[in-house]
Amino acid sequence: MRSGSTTKSTVFGTVLLTAALALPSVEFAYADAVPERSIVSFKYLNYQDNQGLLSQSGSNTNGLNTTSGASSAVTPGTSGSTSSGSQDRIGVNAYSVMALVPVAGEWSVGTTYTSDSVSGASPTYHSSGLAKMTDLRRAIDVELTRYFSRGSVSVGTSYSKEIDYISRGFNIQGSMSTEDKNTTFTLGGSFNNDSINPVIQPSVDEKKQVASGLIGVTRVLTPQDIVQLNVSYSKGTGYYSDPYKLYDNRPRHRNSVTALARWNHHFDDNGTDGTVHLSYRYYSDSFGIRAHTLDAEYVQPLYKGWTVIPLLRLYAQNEADFYVSVGAAENADPTQPTPPPSDAVYYSEDQRLSGFGAVTLGVKVSKQINKDWLVDVKYEHYEQREQWSLSGDGDPGLTPFKARSIQVGVSRAF
Amino acid sequence: MKKYEMQKPLYVLLLMIMLALSGCAVGTAVQPWEKETLARPEMTFEGDKLDTAYTEHIYSSKEGASGGAGVGGGGCGCN
Repeated sequence: MRSGSTTKSTVFGTVLLTAALALPSVEFAYADAVPERSIVSFKYLNYQDNQGLLSQSGSNTNGLNTTSGASSAVTPGTSGSTSSGSQDRIGVNAYSVMALVPVAGEWSVGTTYTSDSVSGASPTYHSSGLAKMTDLRRAIDVELTRYFSRGSVSVGTSYSKEIDYISRGFNIQGSMSTEDKNTTFTLGGSFNNDSINPVIQPSVDEKKQVASGLIGVTRVLTPQDIVQLNVSYSKGTGYYSDPYKLYDNRPRHRNSVTALARWNHHFDDNGTDGTVHLSYRYYSDSFGIRAHTLDAEYVQPLYKGWTVIPLLRLYAQNEADFYVSVGAAENADPTQPTPPPSDAVYYSEDQRLSGFGAVTLGVKVSKQINKDWLVDVKYEHYEQREQWSLSGDGDPGLTPFKARSIQVGVSRAF
Repeated sequence: MKKYEMQKPLYVLLLMIMLALSGCAVGTAVQPWEKETLARPEMTFEGDKLDTAYTEHIYSSKEGASGGAGVGGGGCGCN
């Protein structure tokens, strides 16, 4: 599948090798053992989001007739109003296939293919000015890993294609443990080179290049506790604006720093045999966004191969420096978009750049059928509200945003 | 944009790393025969890769922040 593209991206990755070698790290740190068996996994995702109505913002505005994809129809998002006064926005059907194969006792090859079909209605400013859109994304990545007695080195390449967006990536990472294997250091880097050709503005022929580095430490604390700290830095240059938004002109540079701390603890003493995963992420970027993310999940093994995993995620961010809030006129009539201040160099009315908080509640259930087969199902409910912004700079003109997702997976070991 | 804005958190993070590194010498080392629990899949940080990929993809296309666990994988036009 897509062998032509893969070859192209592999060649491209090789060209970028020199640049990427100079960068720091990537990916998960505590994976330095050769997989014992081959694994093939399949997963299906169904996602649907919806957003509260401000009013009947009927016509689409300003000739922004459609977002990416072949759809030419221009309609307000009318698909399926729900009883709570919100409207369905974007729906996604995706499937992924992954294979991981150990080779010659010291190597492994992993590959993932994803097909991602998106359709629905997306706002062209704030929560309003809906434009119908469809899109199909296909992505493939390949990773080769060499294992040593106290570490591993991986190189990988990725290719992702939408009708208006192509991304090519290359990454390398290495990990090394101390002699007692209680401490593992990880170092990695990646480089992505993206091409952007918006369907509605063929004159826009843009690029975006992002280089990232990561440094990590994983430490065994007790026989029941392991912790990890990753710090990553990302430096991007190119086209960051959203061509499908009405007023959107963003800086051509975006640099970010991320710190991620994770802690896994196993309950041996109280007889539950459960494991808790806790993580905190701090994110800061040159757009002025600061974000905090707290994740907690609890893995509870039950009888006969059943496992249940409830999860909670809390997120909060402040607004970007150039975010333009809903104005008085738009607040009264959502069909009247708010122009940015006349002296603004950069501006955006993308609600993802506003101040808000979000909560996810979910549960995953899996069943190990026998030593070869594993099946799982996951349900998550997600909600975003401006009132939940920790920094108090939420935009009251935005309506709450909700989403739910369902995943169904099956995995076979050989 | 404003470079000085980036530096303060960067220093804090570097400090955190150094603290973590210095912590390596503290405490009793866990012995190989005590690592049966740590070898269980749910005690690793890898998790279900396809699940993680979907979840991170959704969050990065609906929120301002992204990344942290790794830097591999392809970009997309969804954010």
